Amino acid sequence: MRIFGALLVMAASTAAGWIYGALLKKRWQLLNALIQGFQWLGTEIGYGSVPLGEAFTRIGARLPKEVQALFTGFAAALNGAAGLTADEAWQESLTQNRDGLALTAEDWAVLSDFGRTLGTTDREHQVSAIRQTIARLTHQATEAEGEYRKNERLYRYLGMAAGALVVLVFY
Amino acid sequence: MSYAEQVLPFLVPKVRWALERFRRVAPEKWARLEEIRLRAGQPLQVEAGASLLVTADGAPAVRPDQALPVEAPDVLRTVQLMGGNSLYTLEEELREGFITLPGGHRVGLAGECLVGRGTLLRLKRVTSINIRIARQLKGIGRRLLPYLTIGDRPLRTIIISPPQAGKTTLLRDLVRSFSNGEGVPAPVKVGLVDERGEVAGSYRGVPQLDVGMRTDVLTGCPKREGVFLLLRSMGPQLIATDEIGRPGDLELIEEILNTGVGFIATAHAWDTKDFARRPSLQRLWARGLVERVVLLSRRLGPGTLEGVWNGQTKEALLAEGQRLEAKR
Repeated sequence: MRIFGALLVMAASTAAGWIYGALLKKRWQLLNALIQGFQWLGTEIGYGSVPLGEAFTRIGARLPKEVQALFTGFAAALNGAAGLTADEAWQESLTQNRDGLALTAEDWAVLSDFGRTLGTTDREHQVSAIRQTIARLTHQATEAEGEYRKNERLYRYLGMAAGALVVLVFY
Repeated sequence: MSYAEQVLPFLVPKVRWALERFRRVAPEKWARLEEIRLRAGQPLQVEAGASLLVTADGAPAVRPDQALPVEAPDVLRTVQLMGGNSLYTLEEELREGFITLPGGHRVGLAGECLVGRGTLLRLKRVTSINIRIARQLKGIGRRLLPYLTIGDRPLRTIIISPPQAGKTTLLRDLVRSFSNGEGVPAPVKVGLVDERGEVAGSYRGVPQLDVGMRTDVLTGCPKREGVFLLLRSMGPQLIATDEIGRPGDLELIEEILNTGVGFIATAHAWDTKDFARRPSLQRLWARGLVERVVLLSRRLGPGTLEGVWNGQTKEALLAEGQRLEAKR
């Protein structure tokens, strides 16, 4: 019975370490997907002058599932009957998807800032705002990658070690 | 959905709500809606037979202070809604000063301009919006058609009228009738040079109003280039265009004359005398370059037919004051 309990503690603790490590990796992946999305957006607006609703729907369809909702949610809010501005629709989409995505407060701040001039200025300025967002996201992604590479294994071992410690102390 | 209802989703919510109530409160006025005007700092105004002020509850207001005030942000917001919240898609429109909405409704813009090297680059800040409700009244030109053809040949026709008397609506219907072969001996291929996008009401290049199945539309193209492009490439039997009367238009018509195709055009003028006095149109009348002149007025409401003249003999072929009616 005691052995079974000890194993359970070990397993849970190890899993927690793994999950935390995986979340670090996930953040890096999400940021990369977002960068890709914004690059496509730059092309849609810069070369195609495609309206936001259409551009976001199109891009959303090509992105991985997790970030897709951010883009399609925006398009849905924008085309809704409430007559939201692009910024309002973007903030709403961010709020709705906040819980589902492993991003940090800083990442969210970058995304939130992006909404401010969305759709309200000429093409040149829109493209430069997108470039700026991509630059800031790239910075976040580099940081996320560093953290994930440095700490993923650490968290895994830490999880296991913490489990072992608990078992040793209480056994 | 009535024509005017199509524009409601593009208005800032407070104006939209006021007009939705207006539609319920005064359906007979709504049915005659011609224009919706938003001006920063001014009350909400509509043209529906007469110029009216509208309150927030949708009732016609007597005094300006009772009417729904429209503020500068409301005007900007409306422009953004018209551009799908993507102002950058309206660069061309802000240079030209108008937007076309789905359904072919035309939105005129005015405000603060951005000027570079002495020319207008684009509108920087829009403060006035005029939404003109496009109507398709199929069959209104039916009674005129017998006067506008000889055998199979469409005659060179000019429709003249004061503003808002239904020139463009009539032109659209004549184009559609010729193109579909309704009420004429044989259908003809029509080339429509829709410089201001009002005749076919094109939205992203696709005509929103019915201009007939044998009509090729050139949207947003200057008249001269447009006419020659169509003559070269599409082999039209009839060229149609809106709003002639600028210097150079006369030469254009002379050139069309040489190619032997028919044409229908519209021009601003109060009556045939005014038409004959207008410097750029005078020679058309004096030299009998046009074969038929159709005059419209607003005497009995928009689309009052005042008469049809033979442009060469100046004799009246049809003289009456009667409103043109849509036929089913």
